[in-house]
Amino acid sequence: MRDYSNDIKPPQLPLKALRWFCDPELLEDIEGDLSELFRSRASKNIRLAKFLYARDVLQLFRPGIVKKIGRLNTVNSIDMLFNHIQTAIRQAGKHKGYTAINIAGLVVGLASCMLILLWVGDETSKDQFHEKSDRLYQVWRNLVQSNGDVQTVRGIPLPLEHVLRTQYPEVEAVTSYTWEMEYMFRLGEISSFEKGRFATGAFFDVFSYRLIVGDPKKVLVDGPTMVISDRMALKFFGNDWREKAIGQTIKLDDRTDYEVTGVFETPGDKSSVQFDWVISAKQFIDRQTWANSWYNGGFSIFFTLRPGADTEAVRKRIEQEVIRNTNKESNEPLYIQLFSENYLHGTFENGIPMGGRIQYVRILSAIAIFLLLLASINFVNLATARSSLRAREIGVRKVMGAQRSTLSQQFFTEATLYAIASTVVASAIGYLVLPYFNTLTGKSIHIRFSDPLVWLTLGGMILLTGMLSGAYPAFMLSSLSVAKSLKGRTKQVGSNYFRHALVTFQFAISIFLISGTFIISKQLSYILNKDIGLQRDKLVSIDLTGKLYDKKEVYMNSLRSIPEVKDVTLSSASPINFEESTGGANWPGKDPNMVIEINLLSVNENFVKTMGMKVVQGEDFSNVFLRDSARFLINEVLAGILGFDDPVGKELTVWGTTGTISGVVGNFHMASLYDPIAPLIIRYSRVDAGTAFVRINGNTHDALTSIERVTKDINPAFPFRYNFLDEDFARQYRGERSVSSLVNIFAGVSIFIACLGLLGLSSFSADQRAKEIGVRKVHGASVSSLVLLLSKQYAKLMIIAFFVATPLSYFYMQRWLGDFAYRIDMNITLFVVAGIVTFAIGALTVSYKSYSAALANPVKTLKEE
Amino acid sequence: MPSRYSLGEFEEVVLLTVAVLNGDAYGVAIKGDIEHRLKRSVSVGAMRTALRRLEDKGFLESEFGEATAVRGGKRKRYHKVTPLGKKALDYVMNSRRKLWAAIPATAFQFK
Repeated sequence: MRDYSNDIKPPQLPLKALRWFCDPELLEDIEGDLSELFRSRASKNIRLAKFLYARDVLQLFRPGIVKKIGRLNTVNSIDMLFNHIQTAIRQAGKHKGYTAINIAGLVVGLASCMLILLWVGDETSKDQFHEKSDRLYQVWRNLVQSNGDVQTVRGIPLPLEHVLRTQYPEVEAVTSYTWEMEYMFRLGEISSFEKGRFATGAFFDVFSYRLIVGDPKKVLVDGPTMVISDRMALKFFGNDWREKAIGQTIKLDDRTDYEVTGVFETPGDKSSVQFDWVISAKQFIDRQTWANSWYNGGFSIFFTLRPGADTEAVRKRIEQEVIRNTNKESNEPLYIQLFSENYLHGTFENGIPMGGRIQYVRILSAIAIFLLLLASINFVNLATARSSLRAREIGVRKVMGAQRSTLSQQFFTEATLYAIASTVVASAIGYLVLPYFNTLTGKSIHIRFSDPLVWLTLGGMILLTGMLSGAYPAFMLSSLSVAKSLKGRTKQVGSNYFRHALVTFQFAISIFLISGTFIISKQLSYILNKDIGLQRDKLVSIDLTGKLYDKKEVYMNSLRSIPEVKDVTLSSASPINFEESTGGANWPGKDPNMVIEINLLSVNENFVKTMGMKVVQGEDFSNVFLRDSARFLINEVLAGILGFDDPVGKELTVWGTTGTISGVVGNFHMASLYDPIAPLIIRYSRVDAGTAFVRINGNTHDALTSIERVTKDINPAFPFRYNFLDEDFARQYRGERSVSSLVNIFAGVSIFIACLGLLGLSSFSADQRAKEIGVRKVHGASVSSLVLLLSKQYAKLMIIAFFVATPLSYFYMQRWLGDFAYRIDMNITLFVVAGIVTFAIGALTVSYKSYSAALANPVKTLKEE
Repeated sequence: MPSRYSLGEFEEVVLLTVAVLNGDAYGVAIKGDIEHRLKRSVSVGAMRTALRRLEDKGFLESEFGEATAVRGGKRKRYHKVTPLGKKALDYVMNSRRKLWAAIPATAFQFK
């Protein structure tokens, strides 16, 4: 008979696991028991036996059977930790000056780092709250010009919405809305101006703006209905708006009634789009003759894809829609972009997103890392430079049997303690500074301490700082040899070169940031003060609301009668910020294949004069006789494109009207200075002008008082509102200005941290060389020569730093400036100034300590020996 | 000094079974006896922990016995109740007995 018992083996994996975790004292017995059980079970059912074996092993994994983990369980390692903490605290207390330098650098670095992280977190969370944000797309339209330029606009031909809804099975829901508009709303006695948009059907389905009252599917029906924000509801219906608002009608511009069908939560900071009302777009579209054409675009279109839909297929198909539906007359490929990505990646180049605010996020993240590095370097430098002071302690510890790993742990513990202390202080400072930071950046960030991410980040910062600053000292200090360290004075550990390299690195970063600051602020002041082709100061714009629109002639005349008013004109839009354009302009001799998008502005007489523009050729609309027939002004850019030697008197057809060019105006900037000046046609029209521009001459306050009186006389129902053109202009660069001030501040922080480290190093070397200085002084060295002696090594480092930082800074700033169509030239003086500033601050820091060391009485330093 | 005799219910069962097996008490035998006599299933892990704890408390002592082929060449560990273990069992039984005796006759009249 065959004995099967030797063939059947217990399963190996559980057995190995058991041997791994089981207490060796118990192992033999338990293993025996298990295999005995296995044999008896296996005789019935092998598979079951194997399973039960594994289960038994699993059940054996419990305290009492698992072997003890040796090192954690020894009391010694905990005692050592306490000992390390105690030593660190004693060391910190013994050298208060160095401790202060270390802590101050870390605190400032960490606090700045935290603020930057909060800013970055806020930026990257914009528009991420939409539930379907991973499949919520916006459509963009690329206008391809004959010369190859591509202009990307958000205005899409409205018929696309219908096409998307009916012909694209992948599309779940579509909505479109207009640009931001502002109207006056009235309910009984209450009236106010509110901004919002006209939108179609699925608005509240595509976006996740929260409806407090109302059904998302029904609030925007085709009738005259509106949905308002809770802020607006509170204004119109008081505290109990929840009950009162629905079903009420609010009058828009004293013309049309809209029934309130819902109330939504006012979009918060997490939304890049702000609005206080959404009105069903049906009536609006019916009034706009241009809206239902494939040749015009005014609406922004958004859609959600069904989960799992093939985005690339949809992208390819949508791209051709305008081209297909206009029989290739309009070469306008469409592009789709995730809506949530637009906030950070909103700059288009050649029809595809190429950066945007993301570059500011990147710049500031890099600065945050740099600041943390700078502060950690201080710790590294001071710890290694001053290692000779601790050589004896290390030697004794080694003699007593401390292993290298224990010593490494000690220095890591020390660095981590510094990191913890600094993080606590830095958090407090960050918390206190946050309100000012918010004012500076125009954000409203608040820290939610209930958010585990906050704690995780703080923990991460502590760990990172501890590692960065502890690693090198832990490695170097623990390598000291016992004999040398106990024999007496040892040299410092780690090469001087390394320390010097780190100092150079610190100063290179400082110079980099400071020269960056110079260039950014210079570019901004260049933009804000650039001659944009019109006089933008003392120019007030007033929207023609209510009766002002109908009585514009009367209004203009009464404005002109105000003594402080120099000129008045009417225009369809603000000349520095408008998006009206046409691809349909025509003139004799135009290349039939030429595609060109030309901006359009409709103005009244006096426009050129009031704006302070220049007429380069011909004349403007001031001549009364010329108003009888269609007349156009063109800008220099367009004149160049037309190519006539003298364009005045030539024929031009725009929007179905043929007229003659009466003059050429000097170029002025119509949009942001990121873009070059585009071709422009200014047409004379009394009807389309909706904004009055008033040039003030004299006291602005008096002028505004008079203007308000005149306005109220004609239009008593509407509150008086106005804008200054120069403020509008500055507002366009708000983002740049807040980033510029941030970079400014953090450049200052970086040099502060670097100088702290320098102060520590120089005072230490002054202490060490006290005797040498004493001897030199006795032999007649002058104070100035001693200061020079002590300072020159650091001066050398800063000069090296300058040569390292300048090319890097030049390269990166060139890239940043490259985004602007109009920019300053970077010349070397900017960098030299940055270098000199850094050098001066650094030299002051070093010579402060050197000077006091050189002044010291040699008797004092030499008496002990 | 009741704490000296702290004995969990399962520990008591294991300790009694060791006494029942009288010199033949090793792992599998104890497990088998409890399962057979008391009709309750015993996991190797639970029994092992109990044995170890009883030994730590001084209620049991153990020594290695012979190795057999069926055990893959591993020796058996035989357990024996110590005098202290006996005292602990006595203590548990006496306290139960006292409690039973103190129960009035009417206590279990369920209606």
